[in-house]
Amino acid sequence: MGRFVLRRLLQSVVVLLGVTLVVFLLLQLVPGDPVRVALGTRFDQQTYDALRERSGLDRPLVVQYLSYVGHALTGDLGVSFRSGQPVTSIVLERLPATGSLSVTAVLFALLVAFPLGVLSAMRSGSFVDHAARVFSQFGVSVPDFWMGIMGILLFAGVLGWLPPSGYVALTDDPAGWASHVALPAAAVGLVTASILTRFIRSSVLEVLAEDYVRTAEAKGLRRRVVIVRHVLRNALIPVVTVVAVQLASLVGGVIVIEVLFAWPGVGRLTYDAVQARDYPVLQGAVLFVATLFLLMNLLVDVLYARLDPRITLR
Amino acid sequence: MTRSRIVAAALAVALTGLAGCGAGDSVDVDGDATAGGSAGGTLTAAIGGEPDQLDPHRTSAYYSFEVLENVYDTLVEPDADLKMGPALATRWTTSSDQLTWTFTLREGVTFSDGSPLTSEDVVYSYQRIIREKLNAAYKFATVKSVTAPDPATVVVTLTAPTPNLLANLGGFKGVAIVEKSNVESGAIKTRPVGSGPFTVASYTSGDTIKLTRNDAYWGQKPKLDGVTFTFVKDPTVALQNLRGGEVQWTDNLPPQQVPALKEAGEVAVTTTPSTDYWYLALNEGREPYDDVNVRRAVAFALDREAITKAAKFGQATANQTAIPQGSSWYYDYSPYRHDPDQARQLLGQAGVKGLTLDLMVTSEYPETVSAAQVIAAQLKEVGITVKIRTLDFAQWLDEQGKGNFGGFLLGWLGNIDPDEFYYAQHRTGGTFNFHKYSNPTVDTLLDQARTQTDEGVRKQTYERAAKQIVDDASYIYLYNPDVVQGWSKKVTGYQVRTDRAIRFRDVALAR
Amino acid sequence: MSAAGDRASADAGTPGGAADPSTAPHPPTRADLTSPRPVDDHPPTRAAEAGTLRRTLTALRHDPPAVAGTVVLLALLVVGLAGQWLAPAGINDVDVDQMLRPPSGAHPFGTDELGRDVLSRVLVAARVSLQVGLVSVGIALAVGVTVGLLAGWYGGWADNLLMRGMDVLFAFPVLLLAVAIVAVLGPGLVTAMVAIGVVYTPIFARVTRASVLAVREQVFVRAAVSIGTSDLRILRRHVLPNIAAPLIVQTSLSLAFAILSEAALSFLGLGVQPPAPAWGRMLYDGRGFITDAWWLGFFPGAAIFVTVLAFNLVGDALRDVLDPRQLTVSEARRSTR
Repeated sequence: MGRFVLRRLLQSVVVLLGVTLVVFLLLQLVPGDPVRVALGTRFDQQTYDALRERSGLDRPLVVQYLSYVGHALTGDLGVSFRSGQPVTSIVLERLPATGSLSVTAVLFALLVAFPLGVLSAMRSGSFVDHAARVFSQFGVSVPDFWMGIMGILLFAGVLGWLPPSGYVALTDDPAGWASHVALPAAAVGLVTASILTRFIRSSVLEVLAEDYVRTAEAKGLRRRVVIVRHVLRNALIPVVTVVAVQLASLVGGVIVIEVLFAWPGVGRLTYDAVQARDYPVLQGAVLFVATLFLLMNLLVDVLYARLDPRITLR
Repeated sequence: MTRSRIVAAALAVALTGLAGCGAGDSVDVDGDATAGGSAGGTLTAAIGGEPDQLDPHRTSAYYSFEVLENVYDTLVEPDADLKMGPALATRWTTSSDQLTWTFTLREGVTFSDGSPLTSEDVVYSYQRIIREKLNAAYKFATVKSVTAPDPATVVVTLTAPTPNLLANLGGFKGVAIVEKSNVESGAIKTRPVGSGPFTVASYTSGDTIKLTRNDAYWGQKPKLDGVTFTFVKDPTVALQNLRGGEVQWTDNLPPQQVPALKEAGEVAVTTTPSTDYWYLALNEGREPYDDVNVRRAVAFALDREAITKAAKFGQATANQTAIPQGSSWYYDYSPYRHDPDQARQLLGQAGVKGLTLDLMVTSEYPETVSAAQVIAAQLKEVGITVKIRTLDFAQWLDEQGKGNFGGFLLGWLGNIDPDEFYYAQHRTGGTFNFHKYSNPTVDTLLDQARTQTDEGVRKQTYERAAKQIVDDASYIYLYNPDVVQGWSKKVTGYQVRTDRAIRFRDVALAR
Repeated sequence: MSAAGDRASADAGTPGGAADPSTAPHPPTRADLTSPRPVDDHPPTRAAEAGTLRRTLTALRHDPPAVAGTVVLLALLVVGLAGQWLAPAGINDVDVDQMLRPPSGAHPFGTDELGRDVLSRVLVAARVSLQVGLVSVGIALAVGVTVGLLAGWYGGWADNLLMRGMDVLFAFPVLLLAVAIVAVLGPGLVTAMVAIGVVYTPIFARVTRASVLAVREQVFVRAAVSIGTSDLRILRRHVLPNIAAPLIVQTSLSLAFAILSEAALSFLGLGVQPPAPAWGRMLYDGRGFITDAWWLGFFPGAAIFVTVLAFNLVGDALRDVLDPRQLTVSEARRSTR
């Protein structure tokens, strides 16, 4: 257990270093002079010289990379080409929006997937099971942005119940936030829900087939008791980890929905940075998301090792 | 690409948001007098994008100027009719040789942080622009020196008479008076300090910029407590927000819905011709576009009404010259009609067959992408195949500078004087003459007009030049877009300006 | 590669191809997802068995969703190849007097903001989607299989280096990485294909490596090694055919996700550039008219959905037949400790 955690930790550090390298090399891939390209229409010699100097692009690659990593370690991801603000604070500013959207989407997904997944596993082959399979096949195949567009069309256009897009901070106006988050969270959550439905179903099925469950049933315990006491408890452990990983992936993975709904989160920040060719912000946002992602996964693995079914079973 | 080209290209864009001084129609919307104009309240304005930064001398984005218009002052400023009038300077005198201008500053003006605004600040601001070659530097081309003999006086000396000096020094907020300490601390990029009616209270990137009333403002106190600018890229959403009352003003309305909106009267919507124009330029440094017949053939092949409809959903006026109707410099000349037969005949005369036009457009201005697709369809009818190349603007400018194009579509925004409409674009070797047009007659006319002091004579010279330019199809002019803005019925005292300056200082909000 | 990974595949007892239960991070994205299978389903598959093809076809024939998916895919293929002849109008026949017309007899899918026939554009755009899907998955397959073969066969530091590299690529959310790559290379058809190819490479590397690890220990492979057959020959003659099954499954599922990714990139304006039609791009261009012209938002999106669904149905069915014990990466994670 301890050795496992240590090894995972070391691996994560190695991968994280690789991630910084990829992010760093992104800038090198820009055809031509990235500062010149970034400035584009805002070109003037002084700004150019200042940016060039600050970005340190004249130094040897290795030196540049080491300095990038060194700064990143202290939380310094450079400054935006566009606004001159520190990238770290720009990215952090976007967290509440993305965080609140991701959490809502996952909650929505759970609300749908949990009953659907458990029911379809328990009544394998039933109508519910078929419905669940159709639903999850639909959810995995449908583009979330198309769902978003259809949602806007229906709920904002035809019915006029919800605003078509925009953002209100949860802390400013909870009701306003809720009405704005509903459509994007549902669009994202639908995909997550269909992934989770399949997962929960197979997880529950697997536990149902375990010896101890059969034993418990053989002992004459009522099916409901067996389900709640044995099956769900054990089936949910892997589900918890998947939910955690889903959440982590949403933080960086909802670009399209954030763009569609004008949601000022990390995803849209990335998109805007692409549009403005603001490479430091692009690098910073990507690095931030990938790091968060790695950490969440590490956490999940460690948690998982602790929650292993064979340990809880006893 | 040489450096001067790059700067020139940057300038071309910097012109976005410049003030025009054509004959501007201002639209008074005060008529709806339901509101008693009770003071206070915060107006939320939805603009189509986010400012890149808030340093008025460095930004070239119109979105920035929409905000900065309410934060900064200039020495003089255009009034509703785009005539230059007093602002920070209350009066000015000109020496008899027209080479020395002396401005007297308003008394007791302070920046929003309380420090006094003196002539030193004016000198600092102008020298910053000139020395650091910032976007508006070209406006100071004839300025020899700017000095401050005393705290209330600014003296500008020139190398040549510049009848346009006032427009240059106050046409838009890109020549605003900034505070030195604000610049040096770097805070100007996000927390600019000006002397205008409002001051920046907070800036949430990706979301909003909040302005609060500047109680130390020298002019009439703004009625609003504040203005919040939110960035709404999608016009449908902006409209929805306006209808829903979340937003009280926007200039980002879905063009296809404008006529219906005007009719419905649920919100106030106004369209006014602007001084902008959009055009097609063919690369005369390349065969066969060096042949005037080929260019004229293209001009005849185009159906401008259709292009206008596709690009702006009718929120524009087709035009065959640069200067819009309504300007005192307008020249009514439209030799081209949609005539594919004529076009084919001209192509035949030029001996051109199976021509493929490499047409460069940019995603930065989606209307060029739309227009290009219509143009492609129209040129196909006369046997020209159009290959549309959609580029990033940075790339686009680079290609333009290198001359790597068969033709391109772009617009010029906010020009003021006819010289600005024609000289740099059509004079042989002109700064923006990327399409390599050269006609000695036009060169002579443009040079002459520059120095003519009699307005009538000058106008005639420009008309002769314009006629030649249009006949040569140097630029194939397409249309002048409208300024389209909408606001809630609760808003009173707002005026649409043809220079697209957005001023909220006199606006009130009924509650 | 870590001992944890090896043990996991051994635990799974699936020579045919446990996906690499690497400890590296991965979201259970759609790409990882395969439908759950009953635990007591099939015995482990030996993919190279004779009659696999026939067995596959037979099984698929009795799986209605798979039949439907196949029919749709065939239809798509026809449309992809012959779209421009099937289309009732030219894709760039602009007619501003006919702009934003709702569906009618003349224009079954309506017209767009330039008066072009939406049906024709949707049909012709099928080619772009298929092209991007095939090329990008082709890239991912070629690179990923090479990396996986080398890593799995040679092991040691090469394995470690290559697979850590794949871990790094896997550490980014799929679309984020694709967007970043397109951002630096500039938007367009080719860069979109490259970006999507890169993004899906690690999955193939992992699947291949895990399968190679299993095959490497088989008697016939050991025998080949012991009689001194060259590595290249062994890989080509013995290993590749034996790992084909999981790769086929992964390929068909990846096609679905690659097409989704292309649509997303195009929807962000980073994919195919106008005037060429692409489904995602049509949605992007139609964004301003969502509430005025529902058909602009509906039909291109529906086309994406149907295509992706068809690939998923066929992919799922293939997996059930060819490689029923193939663990998805996310599920394999559970056997790791």
